Amino acid sequence: MGLVEDLAADLGPDRVRPGGPDDAIGGRVPAAVAEPLSPEAVAAVLARAGRDGLAVRVRGGGTKQSWSAPPERLDVVLSTRALHRLVDHAPGDMTCVAEAGMPLAALQAAIADVTTHRQRLMLDPPGGAEATLGGVLATAAAGPRRVRYGTPRDLVIGARYVTGDGLAAKTGGRVVKNVAGYDVAKLLIGSHGSLAVITEVALKLHPLPDAARTVVLRDPDPDRAAAFCDAVRGAPITPALVEAAWPEGLVLVRVESTEEGAAAQVERLRGLGPVEELDEVAADALTADLAARAWAGTGPVLAVGVVPDRLADLLRAARDAGATLVARAPVCAGELALPDDDPDRAARLIDAVRALGGSVQLRRGGEDLRALVRTAPEPAVLRLEAALKDRLDPHGVLAGAAR
Amino acid sequence: MAATQTTDRLGTLAERARAIVGPVWVLSDPAQLSTYECDGLTNQRERPGLVVLPASTDEVAAVVRACHELGIPFVARGAGSGLSGGAMPRAEGVVIGLARMREILAVDLPNRRVTVQPGVTNLAITEAVAPHGFYYAPDPSSQQVCTIGGNLAENAGGAHCLKYGFTVNHALSAVVVLADGAVVRLGADAPDAPGLDLLGVLIGSEGTCGIVTEAVVGILPKPQHVETLVAFFDTVEEGGETVSAIISAGIVPAAVEMMDRLAIEAARAVTKMDWDAESALIVELDGPESEVRSQFEAVTRICAAHHAREVRVAASPAERAAIWTARKSAFAAAGRLAPAYRVQDGVIPRTRLPEVLRGIAALSERYGLRVANVFHAGDGNLHPLVLYDSAVPEQVEQSEELAMAIVALCVEFGGSITGEHGVGTEKACSMPKMFDGDDLTAFDRVRGAFDPDGLCNPDKLLPTPRLCGEVPGFHRVHPVERAGLGDRL
Repeated sequence: MGLVEDLAADLGPDRVRPGGPDDAIGGRVPAAVAEPLSPEAVAAVLARAGRDGLAVRVRGGGTKQSWSAPPERLDVVLSTRALHRLVDHAPGDMTCVAEAGMPLAALQAAIADVTTHRQRLMLDPPGGAEATLGGVLATAAAGPRRVRYGTPRDLVIGARYVTGDGLAAKTGGRVVKNVAGYDVAKLLIGSHGSLAVITEVALKLHPLPDAARTVVLRDPDPDRAAAFCDAVRGAPITPALVEAAWPEGLVLVRVESTEEGAAAQVERLRGLGPVEELDEVAADALTADLAARAWAGTGPVLAVGVVPDRLADLLRAARDAGATLVARAPVCAGELALPDDDPDRAARLIDAVRALGGSVQLRRGGEDLRALVRTAPEPAVLRLEAALKDRLDPHGVLAGAAR
Repeated sequence: MAATQTTDRLGTLAERARAIVGPVWVLSDPAQLSTYECDGLTNQRERPGLVVLPASTDEVAAVVRACHELGIPFVARGAGSGLSGGAMPRAEGVVIGLARMREILAVDLPNRRVTVQPGVTNLAITEAVAPHGFYYAPDPSSQQVCTIGGNLAENAGGAHCLKYGFTVNHALSAVVVLADGAVVRLGADAPDAPGLDLLGVLIGSEGTCGIVTEAVVGILPKPQHVETLVAFFDTVEEGGETVSAIISAGIVPAAVEMMDRLAIEAARAVTKMDWDAESALIVELDGPESEVRSQFEAVTRICAAHHAREVRVAASPAERAAIWTARKSAFAAAGRLAPAYRVQDGVIPRTRLPEVLRGIAALSERYGLRVANVFHAGDGNLHPLVLYDSAVPEQVEQSEELAMAIVALCVEFGGSITGEHGVGTEKACSMPKMFDGDDLTAFDRVRGAFDPDGLCNPDKLLPTPRLCGEVPGFHRVHPVERAGLGDRL
């Protein structure tokens, strides 16, 4: 029997199909695409993979496969898309539980739909409407709102997962405060599907604000722009967004508060620099434009991070390399889009960020660039990562890589 | 025979430790050792075989390497203020005390971070940066004495974690001595470093994944404005419902704390305050002034709408401090109400507060023991104080049963057995209430990756036969399997 038939015997015929060119990851076409309906079915796929020595790559919406190293072998794409239910929403507790294949956009809509409570999961990662919760977690993807609300590691309160050898387990819970047991969710967030398949996630929600106001500063001078960002950080302002975009020299600040609070914060911002306030339509349009900007071309995209007092240097590095930078200024993390595939330009930019003590990850680009970006961790860290991989995926079936 | 071997090995370790840290920093005199026989969970004690007090990362690493080579279990200890037995030693093991490592190594205001040794107290970080207008957010009640090393081990929270999160949300990186004595830095200076979030899983691992010997933690600018009120209610339910109403109104207070009548009486016995109500609700808001003022008005209205008998607003920092003194004294003051008490740390979904408080009252009545409730209401983290007389043997047993029944009640309502105190030895045997065999097996695998030889604070966090007798359903990998010589069906 072929692989598709084998998996169909485990999962049912309509849950498996042969892989096609659209399923290719890193140029490899899987023999089969499995779409299990339950954690037990996920375990069955992995159990078969363990027995038959198959390589399995997990896929949600498929929007961030380029964030991870391509698989060396690929037999099965395990799609989480059939695991898409909202399991629980407790509006009064500001928590929800959803299956990992649920698109983030669908979750936001469902939360808004079932309640009159004004609340939201404060994650706005790249990837659009198709990005799933599981994929967002696996890649530790975050967007502009991390300035105020943090990244997935700050918002996940529990998870269910299936280890590489088919153990279905849970970590954390459904309450916002909990220290019982190891926080395995921390390991799974950013693991790129290398340790286990996330099947369900419990999340902390936040209230939507009464009022939001947005201002922009336009200043092409990196030092002045960075000084403005620093002043924002030091002022009694609690912005939801502080996006710095380069080379055009633009800083967008969105404050969210009560009506009175937002008004007072806008006044503060006016005192910090020659800002211009945008109306709601213009603000939303510019915010959406900034979110899409780094991904707009077809060239390589890097995720970069530096310590806050190196923001001006990062802006300069982007300008000097002719790259487009969109960064969350207070945390100094963002995306750098390169205008072309010139390896020297990329190498210069990576060196410049590293010289600032910064971090670099590949979000989109060729394998040559990935090799440039890859760094070797210290040996003891490598040993720990290998030991975790060995214990959570003992047969080595999960073809994801955390680095 | 085994005992002789243990004594020999401890003797060898003592000798090596003296060479590493200097003879005066190795304690082996039984009287000195008894200081280290328990932490804040005083009803479980074991005198350690040896205490070593290193002064640097290198010394900690050398001591751990020696333990590893000799197969001797070790446990790190900060101030010993933990409440779950996390720092309890083993008789044949070593306590590695970090009290000598208490230097603040660097204050980096532009990047809002402080580098500290593990023995620095939580409050000392805030004190170091307060003159510049900053503070360290996690604020466990023991913050004057508890150390940052212990905070990382337990993922310490505090009254203000409702808005600001726990230790794990504020730690940026740490130098860690692993179970085999290797030294690594986990986490990084810049955000978004590639690789697994090893720091994230180490924090809250209760000292079972390694010993932190240096940590970089983030600091925050002091909020521009703070408002604090205490509202008094004629029933506990009204207080609980007020909490839900505040959260539902889209307000995220800095802290929401509640005390019931018994806790209020206890606090009144040791402070000058005149509170008198079935429940007292403390609400604190902080942030930009205009936002805080508008939300504070809303909170005041919500309290009134839920029949608060009286709402007192702190008019000065001194009045604010007095409210917090009343709240924080409740624990110590419980000693005035009864000769002994047990603290529990269960968490429930915050909307279930009224029901769970009724359930606790019913249990209290059934066992004939009083329970004082003082808790972090905003995030549903209860701290019931079970009062008993330690001189009455049956009360000792009943109070333990009652405490465990309260924990079980929290789990039944979809909560957790511990919100901030940790599992330790105290609740290790309760873990199966919350986690099934496969969950525990996966936890054990994570632990095994960090500590394959089981020497790094063993008998904590997970149930073991030694602690709990036979634990049903917990699959431990047999050495034969681990060696690849056999498999389990």
